[in-house]
Amino acid sequence: MRLLLSNHITNAYESLRGNRLRTSLTILGVTIGVASITVILSLSGGAAKIITDQVDQLGGTIAVVRPGAVTKETQVNNLTASLAGSQPTSSLTEHDVNNIRDLPHITAVAPIMLLSGGVTAGDNTPGNVSIVATTPDLTKVTDLPMIDGQFIDSVTNRDTAVIGAQLSVDLFGTEQSIGRTFRTHGQTFTVIGVLKHLNNPINYNNIDFDHAAIVSLDSGKTFNQNVAHIAQINIKADTVDNLPGALTQIRKVLNTNHQGEQDYTVLSGNDLSRPSNELFSTISATLVTVAAISLVVGGIGIMNIMLVGVSERTREIGIRKALGASDAHITWQFLIESLAMSLAGGILGYFFGYLLAFAVARSFLTFDPLFSWQIAVATLGISLVVGLLFGLYPAIRAARKDPIEALRQYH
Amino acid sequence: MKASTTQPVIALKGLVKRYGIGDAEHTVLDSVDLVIEKGEFIAIMGPSGCGKTTLLNILGLLDRADDGEYLLDGTSVDTLSAGRRAHIRSNQVGFVFQNFNLVPRLNVIDNVALPLTYRGMRRLKRLKEASRMLSTFHLSEREYYMPWQLSGGQTQRVAIARALVNNPSIVLADEPTGNLDSRSSHVIMEELADIHARGNTIIMVTHNPDLTSYASRVIRMLDGRIDSDTKTPRATKPATAPKKRLDATMASSEKKPAKKRTRKTKKANKS
Repeated sequence: MRLLLSNHITNAYESLRGNRLRTSLTILGVTIGVASITVILSLSGGAAKIITDQVDQLGGTIAVVRPGAVTKETQVNNLTASLAGSQPTSSLTEHDVNNIRDLPHITAVAPIMLLSGGVTAGDNTPGNVSIVATTPDLTKVTDLPMIDGQFIDSVTNRDTAVIGAQLSVDLFGTEQSIGRTFRTHGQTFTVIGVLKHLNNPINYNNIDFDHAAIVSLDSGKTFNQNVAHIAQINIKADTVDNLPGALTQIRKVLNTNHQGEQDYTVLSGNDLSRPSNELFSTISATLVTVAAISLVVGGIGIMNIMLVGVSERTREIGIRKALGASDAHITWQFLIESLAMSLAGGILGYFFGYLLAFAVARSFLTFDPLFSWQIAVATLGISLVVGLLFGLYPAIRAARKDPIEALRQYH
Repeated sequence: MKASTTQPVIALKGLVKRYGIGDAEHTVLDSVDLVIEKGEFIAIMGPSGCGKTTLLNILGLLDRADDGEYLLDGTSVDTLSAGRRAHIRSNQVGFVFQNFNLVPRLNVIDNVALPLTYRGMRRLKRLKEASRMLSTFHLSEREYYMPWQLSGGQTQRVAIARALVNNPSIVLADEPTGNLDSRSSHVIMEELADIHARGNTIIMVTHNPDLTSYASRVIRMLDGRIDSDTKTPRATKPATAPKKRLDATMASSEKKPAKKRTRKTKKANKS
């Protein structure tokens, strides 16, 4: 028996066209659900892509050690766990940093210590400032172009600092602030370099360098009773091929230092982008769930309208059965109708989703939404699944109609 | 009927159909035996509720008997799956209904082509066949009309064309003239007689005793049993005379001004 696919498609088209308003409202339900999923996926994908691009730019020789055990991504309880991860008891110590630095094939090791507290210059105390204490090696691991001046290095004074372009403007009203001073934690620092405007608050360092004041690790320690409180260790290997070997060595050293306790995480490659925006991906997972609920509502709309269609066309079903249609023919006839609606909703939702994503990205965000075939396949696949799931019951109900009863019914 | 070497189209043996359960059980068909040969034109008569329509539904495989045997073209259809029954309906049975039962959103030619769809025929071929069938019913000009634009008689002729398009071995007609005035009724009956003359087997349920004159055999039913079964001599020579009458009637009906036709359509829609 043939499926009569083209016949069913024409049939579905005609019957859907016959009830235009009803059809378009039903499609709208699916469109909204798919559009919101598209927006969320493309924007979160775009954000994740920034970090992978940064990692790719550095040639894949970067690894990062973070305190805390490995956590699974996209779990709702990570929403709180990731915040707890930045608590002031880091399991990483300066001792770890020194051990890693001594390993072969490692060209740069940059511990990053994040400090709380504000900075002041004159009357200006801008909020939202990160004070970063690190070593000169940071420039080898992370690309930090300068507008002016130099980065901290081993010969520069302890009370010197490099600041982000935006912080410079906030503090001194200009990006040209070499030689000017600001105060933090009771000490005065002289600006010896200003970073270029990077405008990428999302990066694997978890630092918005535009708003950062970078001081040497030693200065940082003096703010914290001479204890280095390390949020992250950035590591660069000499070649891509040597990175896996170096990672093994790093794990071995850390394992010894931490008495076998897995209270640290070594990340490389694409893994880098993951935990750094764990909160972000958790939020997007939550949003996708909410959007999925709206898609379910759209699916219920399809089911509802298909049930109406089935009871309206009971007589037609009876006629078709009397003329030789099998149950399968009737099932397919109605199933294809619901699939047509959900697929139309999926395609429209995909396009409107990207329009919306671009509108949002261009007006509020610093990055563009991600285009990928995975998102296209996911959205269209989801919409087809919705059509199938919510169209199946009405279609089976249509096919099960007793032809005699169906023919007896008027209208 | 002597020495019928050919197989009967339909053979029923002790067919029973009951509705309801327990106290409410009601036997609609009570052990019906019936043999129908190829080329017969059978009129089934009887009062309401005597089981005529039920019998027709069982013959058309829309319904199943509770007991007894039903051989269609020599093969038992009692144990067939729903899919096989649909297949037989599609290939061997043509239905004509009292209320025409055209699919309202399809035009005339698509309605006629509908049974061919379920035989898996391609669209172009389907429409050609349907067009050919419509032309034998003098409806070529109405191919792209919608059902509601036709008069009752025309609608029923479309329905007959649809019943015949898949070249069935039996045509089942359930009060085909029940919704028509007497003039249109006779046009329809002439059509059926004409189909019969071409060698089709027709089984027709009717209330109207006038129409039995077209049939070759009249079966009267009463309370689920066959009360009488009479063959009329007319069957031997399905005539030339009705054919002439048909053409005359049709010519006159085609000439009728459109005004009258629309009035009739309205009436039909109301029902």
